[in-house]
Amino acid sequence: MSVDPFDSALDLLRRLNPKHTAEHLNNLITIAPDLTEDLLSSVDQPLTVRRCKQTGRDYLLCDYNRDGDSYRSPWSNQFDPPLDEGGSLGGVGSGGGNEGAGEGAVPGERVRKMEIKANEAFDVYRELYYEGGVSSVYFWNLDDGFAGVVLLKKASPKGGSNSEGVWDSIHVFEASERGRTSNYRLTSTVILNLATKGATLGELDLSGNMTRQVDMDMPVDNDESHIANIGRLVEDIELKMRNLLQEVYFGKAKDVVGNLRSVGSLSEGQRERDTQRELIGSMQR
Amino acid sequence: MSSTKGIVSSFVEGAPPGELADVIADIKNLTTNSPSLLRELGPAFEKYNEEQFATVKLPGSSQLVIVSEHSALGDGRYFDVESSSSFAFDHATQKASAVQSHVLEGAQADLVKSTLKALGPYVKEHYPNAAHGVYPIENDSRIAIVIVANKYSPNNFWNGRWRSLYIFDPSSGALEGSVKVDVHYYEDGNVRLLTNKPVNASVSSGTGAGIAKEISAQEKRYQEELNRSFTSLSEGAFKGLRRQLPVTRQKIEWDKVASYRLGQDIGGGSSRR
Repeated sequence: MSVDPFDSALDLLRRLNPKHTAEHLNNLITIAPDLTEDLLSSVDQPLTVRRCKQTGRDYLLCDYNRDGDSYRSPWSNQFDPPLDEGGSLGGVGSGGGNEGAGEGAVPGERVRKMEIKANEAFDVYRELYYEGGVSSVYFWNLDDGFAGVVLLKKASPKGGSNSEGVWDSIHVFEASERGRTSNYRLTSTVILNLATKGATLGELDLSGNMTRQVDMDMPVDNDESHIANIGRLVEDIELKMRNLLQEVYFGKAKDVVGNLRSVGSLSEGQRERDTQRELIGSMQR
Repeated sequence: MSSTKGIVSSFVEGAPPGELADVIADIKNLTTNSPSLLRELGPAFEKYNEEQFATVKLPGSSQLVIVSEHSALGDGRYFDVESSSSFAFDHATQKASAVQSHVLEGAQADLVKSTLKALGPYVKEHYPNAAHGVYPIENDSRIAIVIVANKYSPNNFWNGRWRSLYIFDPSSGALEGSVKVDVHYYEDGNVRLLTNKPVNASVSSGTGAGIAKEISAQEKRYQEELNRSFTSLSEGAFKGLRRQLPVTRQKIEWDKVASYRLGQDIGGGSSRR
């Protein structure tokens, strides 16, 4: 029985320190070059921020707004650095499985209009939920609809505290239009890296990523309702993921430490449990 | 680090607690073109086992003994004071064999034994599943104290390890070392807690009981601080990244989202960062 090497690479990335995913990814590509395209398009990494030269606003870089070495700003729709004339021949990598970014990474007129609206909407969302940070939305055409990615990044302010944190949200969706409804398939990843240190504590690093998927049919009246539907989906899944991250990072991790070492005495704890059991037993009799 | 062997060695050394076999299986499947590679990984396995304080049961015994650089005799053999034995350790399979009698002698033998004895009740009272060992090191000038606790729950997608290492210098009374915690959670994701707490203490009595008492106090204080830091990270850095709900305590009305911008300037403009 043979396992697909791609699955082995993903399994390894699920085990090795998530703080250094980029380094592990480069190493995997070195030892298994055949997997390069698949790994780069399916492994999420922390997002890079760039300033749009035309508007002065920050935007986020990912595979979906990339054409060769250039990235498209959602605010100006311009590539930086600018594409060569005839750059539409470019595309991502060597035409590897990225439908969106392939055709010069610019959506058609209708989809670009929605992309502008989505960027405005998620800019509001970003301010209400993140009170800072950077957001970017990129759309691209599909045969039976369109697809897109909603990106959000926020770093906790440095200085003052001994703690720091960075949050990256990556929501990739496909919208299949079926008359008055549309089917949305959303895959959401949050990368959350936290670190703190102190004299009594020493150093603590708590980093990782979690992924969730949803698939939902929603009514569509017009293009505006697509934005609202995607907004609701992202808002719901981010709330769920925030709660899940809180549970895993601060509840589960602490519980496991408590399973390794008990602050209190184990025999006293056992005696207390025995006494309680006897008490309950005697009341039931 | 760009050679295949170097890369694969780094994967081995980065294996989370209890997941070395999974990491090796992945490596095997990714390097089917060079089947001899795994045999060349001896040094990486040795480094992993010694750094992670691998534990093993000696044949015919239920007691766990520890593999570390402090208990190494060379030629792949290690010794254990409690059972007065030495053993061969296969770093690739993590199995012990060829057990021989190993009687501890030398200047620190009494301190090693009394520390081992004093530490026993403490380890039993605070670690549900741990091994501990004490070894004379550096030509019998100091002693090394090792505690390692593992808890693996792969069915629930988590594994954890606690490692304590202390070096005691009888001539100065200095007790120095570190406590390291490593927790991996990997259901629909990959989350890792890694800590490192340096310890710089002193034990004026210089006795095994004094050493055990100081270790107990240090580790209690550390774990309490670690527990507090989960709360402060949750209430501090985490809360500051993303709110659970907007200030209004209400979800966004997406049908009216365009008017949010017109109605009120919420500052989403150009002047961020």
